[in-house]
Amino acid sequence: MKKEGFYFERIRPVVVMIIITVVCIGLVSGIYLSTKKLVTENEDLVFRKAVLYAAGISVPESNVEINSLYDERVTEKDSLYIVKDTAGEVMALAFIVSGPGLWGDIEAVTAFDKTLEKFSGVEFTSQNETPGLGARITESWFKEQLRGKSTPLIMLPEGTRSDNVNEIDAITGATRTSDYVLAILNDAGVRAASLSRDN
Amino acid sequence: MPSKAIKTFITPLGKENPVFVQILGICSTLAVTNKFENTLVMVIGVIFTTTLSSFTFSLLRKIIPSRIRMMVETLIIATFVIIVDIALRAYMPEVWQQLGPYVGLIITNCIVMGRLEAFASSNPPGLSLIDGLGSGIGYAYVLLIIAFFRELLGSGTIWGISVFGDWWTNWAIMIMPPGAFFMLAIFIWVVKGRAAE
Repeated sequence: MKKEGFYFERIRPVVVMIIITVVCIGLVSGIYLSTKKLVTENEDLVFRKAVLYAAGISVPESNVEINSLYDERVTEKDSLYIVKDTAGEVMALAFIVSGPGLWGDIEAVTAFDKTLEKFSGVEFTSQNETPGLGARITESWFKEQLRGKSTPLIMLPEGTRSDNVNEIDAITGATRTSDYVLAILNDAGVRAASLSRDN
Repeated sequence: MPSKAIKTFITPLGKENPVFVQILGICSTLAVTNKFENTLVMVIGVIFTTTLSSFTFSLLRKIIPSRIRMMVETLIIATFVIIVDIALRAYMPEVWQQLGPYVGLIITNCIVMGRLEAFASSNPPGLSLIDGLGSGIGYAYVLLIIAFFRELLGSGTIWGISVFGDWWTNWAIMIMPPGAFFMLAIFIWVVKGRAAE
């Protein structure tokens, strides 16, 4: 009787817990492994789209087309992504930049033209800014305005749409996000300048 | 039996609503309701989790010793939540990225664990499934209403589609965390005010 009491009080709970844990872990691991390939593909695809967009190439709809276009036009060299035009000439150089944002790090792919002086474009690959305010950095007008601009950049109030190569619009209501993005873009300019000196 | 099932389903929608009566699951109510699309994905995740974890726990309720009951509850909930997380990551990567940590935080949503403790641990699987589903839907429609107004007033859009046009000045406060407090409070005020009449 005492032994049974001990079994019920101490052993059985542990055994039941172990069995349930093993079943749950098995289930989750199975699902994880079966979708792992898809997840990595998704991550690659997001990045490939970003490089193409930043370089100023219009990104096709289907995943297969994106991959074939990327393979055809982009060569990876160290941490640099060299984008060629249809004739095979270098049209843009892209690299990853990151820096702090308001709520978390902002990561972006920036591309410069072959002289490494002007931005070809930018695409934000990871950001946690406030939706509707800071997160508007991912809106098309904000990214498009950067094409052809060069560092050091300064920001003007939203809606200015300056033609000056050093001036871009900030985002109203997201002053700090704007400041962080400005810092990231200017860092990118510094890095581009150092690349240009090296070559 | 069917009438009991119907009652089990209806109660969490109104009289015992997890959000505006029991004031549970407030963290996610405040956090994910600034965009309608994200909110919809989030509530589908919660409905999936409450329904299936209630069902599973109820199936196991007789073989689980009472002293490890809560550990098993957490484990079952976590399993379903991670399944949701992995599924989103694989099939809806953009939404997954926007929701960030909140999918994982379904694990700590009091509604899920509350239903397991209060209902599934002492009721048969079928009824527990209905209770979980009802609670999930009770949570879902409140969040969707809040998200509808927050996105409409805060961004002038619904589902990312512009509703008001250019003349509309966005109420930035609505998409920031304080806006969620205002909307939830107004919602509770309206509902309880009507109930009192």
